[in-house]
Amino acid sequence: MDQPIIRIQNLRKSFGTLTVIDGLDFDVMKGEKLALIGPSGSGKTTILRILMTLEDISGGRIEVCGEPLYHMTKNGAEVPADEAHLHKMRRHIGMVFQHFNLFPHKSVLQNIAMAPILTKGEKRPDAERRARELLDMVGLADKADYMPSQLSGGQKQRVAIARALALQPQIMLFDEVTSALDPELVEEVLEVMKRLANETDMTMLLVTHEMGFAHDFADRVLFFDKGRIVEQGPPDQIFTAPQEDRTKSFLRKIIAAGQRV
Amino acid sequence: MGDWSGYLTLILQGAWVTIKLTLMGSALALVVAFVAGLGRISRLAALRWLSTAYIEFFRGTSIFVQLFWIYFVLPMTGLWAPTPMQAGVLALGLNVGAYGAEVVRGAILAVPRDQYEACIAVNLTRFQRMRHVILPQALPLMLPTFGNNAIELLKATSVVSLISLADMTFQAQVVRSQTGSTLLPFVTILVLYFAMSSVLSLAIRSYERRVTRGLDGVR
Repeated sequence: MDQPIIRIQNLRKSFGTLTVIDGLDFDVMKGEKLALIGPSGSGKTTILRILMTLEDISGGRIEVCGEPLYHMTKNGAEVPADEAHLHKMRRHIGMVFQHFNLFPHKSVLQNIAMAPILTKGEKRPDAERRARELLDMVGLADKADYMPSQLSGGQKQRVAIARALALQPQIMLFDEVTSALDPELVEEVLEVMKRLANETDMTMLLVTHEMGFAHDFADRVLFFDKGRIVEQGPPDQIFTAPQEDRTKSFLRKIIAAGQRV
Repeated sequence: MGDWSGYLTLILQGAWVTIKLTLMGSALALVVAFVAGLGRISRLAALRWLSTAYIEFFRGTSIFVQLFWIYFVLPMTGLWAPTPMQAGVLALGLNVGAYGAEVVRGAILAVPRDQYEACIAVNLTRFQRMRHVILPQALPLMLPTFGNNAIELLKATSVVSLISLADMTFQAQVVRSQTGSTLLPFVTILVLYFAMSSVLSLAIRSYERRVTRGLDGVR
């Protein structure tokens, strides 16, 4: 737990004239479970997308596993990363999306086994055996040969989690993974994530609107507003004794909307 | 009328030429469509420019003129003098391929962004993304239009009679001038063209059913 696994320094990101992240600094320790909360448009999803290299950065620096993510050294000088460098760095990171993004033309088993075969050169039988183990872990052992279109939202999301786990990343990003689900399907996905958090030492970053879950899941909660961290700390402190006015008013609204925190 | 079976044989020989032109022309068109279609969305500006120039040129000029250039003008350069069959396949393939390229490009761009992002998240290379995720989903979108293009190509094959390649239309003209009967040869080739295009559209539709299996409920 000495060296941070993610180190974000003076990160800036704008879309045209709109600045969504404005000089952000934070570190994530290996094995840490982080919850990123805050109003919509506060930049929390953008941070995950930047870590997954789905967005470019506008300025600043990110290190993942001790290596710069968006920079590389060439002839002794630091230059913007090329596709090969990004490809190398992506091995460390996995992501689960709000809308699952399963491959609709592949079976559940293929969805999970494809990437390990293609990117890690695993043998098909080995990759498929692991895929079945992962399906068993997320409670979908009987759905291996289904197509994604035959699954419910909660089942799709659990397959998506298994797909990300199959590559054994050190860092997992969860982007509002229950927001697109019917309320009665949320619990089955949260259950899987809770087990993951308890049973693995994977570093996890979670963007969520489920405050109750963030409370149970996270070691540390970051409250974002307008692209900056307003307040951070252990969940008990943030949810029961927030210091900043903006955090208080945000949590008040959440509680007024009927959520447990 | 007793000679009719001999004339029918003539028309059937022409039909075989038409079939060969259609198959080889379609094969060339398919290859060209993918090369130029992928070229149009390439990251390399030179490839994009080259593909666009090809597509616009071959869509913007008549296939008749293209055929004449390939058959009569190309040999003047001293580079290559194609046989009528080669010229026909080349003109048909390049012409229809230009239309096909736009179909390939449109279908690839129609695959949702979500799918590209999922590919990045599981760390596929650019080539693997195309090969394993994007193209398999784009192909079903292309097939109905490819079917139309193939039938267009079949009908356009008659243009080769103008460089005296003995296709079905050419042979019907021969029969007409030798017998003085217009109705019989032209009814015959009408039926044959229709039969060929029916076979084409049936084949493509059954292939379409095969590749879209499991994708129902997605589109």
